[in-house]
Amino acid sequence: MAEGIILENVVKTYGSGETAVHALRGVDMAVAKGEVVGLIGPSGSGKSTLLKCLGAVIEPTSGKMTIGDQCIYDNGWKVRDLRALRRDMIGFIFQAPYLIPFLDVTDNVALLPMLAGKPNAEARKMARDLLDALDVGHRAAAMPSQLSGGEQQRVAIARALINRPPVILADEPTAPLDGQRALAVVGLLDDMARQFDTAIIIVTHDEKIIPTFKRLYKIRDGRTVQELQG
Amino acid sequence: MISLAGRDILHGWGKFVLTGVGLGLLIGVTLSMAGVYRGMVDDAQALLDNSRADLWVVQKDTLGPYAEPSSLTEDSERPIQAMRGVAQAAGVTYLTMQIAHGDKDVRVMVVGADMGEPGLPGQPTHLISGRQIVRGHYEAVADVKTGFAIGDRVRVRRNSYTVVGLTSRMVSSGGDPMLFLSLKDAQAAQFQRDSDAIVRQRARTATNPQLNPPGNPAVAQAVNAVQAGNANVNAILVTITPDANPDDVAAAIRRWQRLTVYTRAEMEEILVQKLIANSARQIAMFLVILSIVSAAIVAFIIYTMTIGKIREIAVLKLIGTRNRTISWMILQQALGLGLIGFIVGKIAASLWAPFFPKYVLLLPSDSILGFVAVMLICTLASFLAIQAAIKVDPAEAIGG
Repeated sequence: MAEGIILENVVKTYGSGETAVHALRGVDMAVAKGEVVGLIGPSGSGKSTLLKCLGAVIEPTSGKMTIGDQCIYDNGWKVRDLRALRRDMIGFIFQAPYLIPFLDVTDNVALLPMLAGKPNAEARKMARDLLDALDVGHRAAAMPSQLSGGEQQRVAIARALINRPPVILADEPTAPLDGQRALAVVGLLDDMARQFDTAIIIVTHDEKIIPTFKRLYKIRDGRTVQELQG
Repeated sequence: MISLAGRDILHGWGKFVLTGVGLGLLIGVTLSMAGVYRGMVDDAQALLDNSRADLWVVQKDTLGPYAEPSSLTEDSERPIQAMRGVAQAAGVTYLTMQIAHGDKDVRVMVVGADMGEPGLPGQPTHLISGRQIVRGHYEAVADVKTGFAIGDRVRVRRNSYTVVGLTSRMVSSGGDPMLFLSLKDAQAAQFQRDSDAIVRQRARTATNPQLNPPGNPAVAQAVNAVQAGNANVNAILVTITPDANPDDVAAAIRRWQRLTVYTRAEMEEILVQKLIANSARQIAMFLVILSIVSAAIVAFIIYTMTIGKIREIAVLKLIGTRNRTISWMILQQALGLGLIGFIVGKIAASLWAPFFPKYVLLLPSDSILGFVAVMLICTLASFLAIQAAIKVDPAEAIGG
């Protein structure tokens, strides 16, 4: 199976000298296209730092990161426009949906292709098709404040998928949801990963969804330990 | 690309419009202050226009008759009349005073004009009803702003006058409406003393042997007659012939009559640069302060609105929105606020201008300048919020 994400010996150190904080001490990770993996670990273990490095929000200190066939970091950024990299190659799903409150559901999803230069009508059609696929097409004209928590998270997933990124990073996407809805969201992400050939990393503390992952990475003291699950 | 600013404004339009209305009232006050200044300048120019004079001849070395007291004898008019280039010359008196109108007092400028022949400078123009003064005494023409109507009786000092005509926009440089009397009546009102003062003056004359020589009472009578006379005017208004140059005629009057003469341009400078200069500076200070206050309010509002959207801005940046798209959104909101504020301010200033006690002139050019200033202030005021938005770290959207 082709790899969607490969991290090799990624290190992130904040500060220097005696006060240096080693958030990541050499993380290795590989997620195949169409695969959903879990990333767990105690608070302060480096999960968020890893997500930020992979999301091209902060720069690692060293190591190598590859998304799809493109090496984006090799002891230095290999991509000039990180903003475009985030827009075109990485989808984000947050703990809370963080939908833009002044845009309706369709435009929340269509915003990314619009930012990428797609005509509004085409971007909105893409958004409506995706919302239909995620069973929230009937709320396309609603404002985010009019949606339930589950619906908001589906819209957030649609926003993450709209540009068909090879990678989606999900930061505790089921935290605000009850057990059944949390499992539904993970199931949905699993379906979407297969359908769109996307590698998905889900950072979670949620005991309910951990057993659903086929592969799980544990991170502790800035190092990853892979655990296979049946 | 959709307008993020437009969507945000529509989402919370009530709050946005109310804020714009508040700002608009402040802009309305600013436009009104500019209108007050314009009104003062226009009043000064109306005074000069309505006098229909080309030259103002006044007491030597004074800035009279509007900016300083000026007094010269009425008969100075005749030699001026005879000079080359002079078409007409007429004495005029000006006296600002309070007169009773019903239960209230009205502040007016009493103008004494030579009504000897029609069209002399200083006579009332812009007559909207009634007629000019045709009798030698006890008739008046009033500006409508005095509140008098035709047929009303007006008491000025010791005498009463019947209003026979009404004018519009006949005001002093201070904006006080004018009340025209014949020159003789106005001289009496301005220079004639009351009976007790005359009695005391006559008693002083009687005790002075030089003015009342024994055995020759005719001398004292002649002195008393001179003292009771009212042959002074405040200025002589001069019109020149079409072929004459006002500066040349003014120079000739200065040289041969030894009086001070002002041309229209010089008189305009006295009124605008000297008489209302302090008021203009006062208003300019107000305008500066109001502009700073408006800028501070817009900056505060836009900054608060931006800070309230920090998480959304972080998400927008994380998903790839350019800084310039976010900056443009904030700038558009600031400009939108300014636009609403300006429209509200312009409407408010136009609505309340007629209720000001003095003339408020809202010039279209001032409105255009005000609009540009508002937009500029809003642009500058948005910089603080744009700075805050640019500093937002996209990582804030991710927990940890």
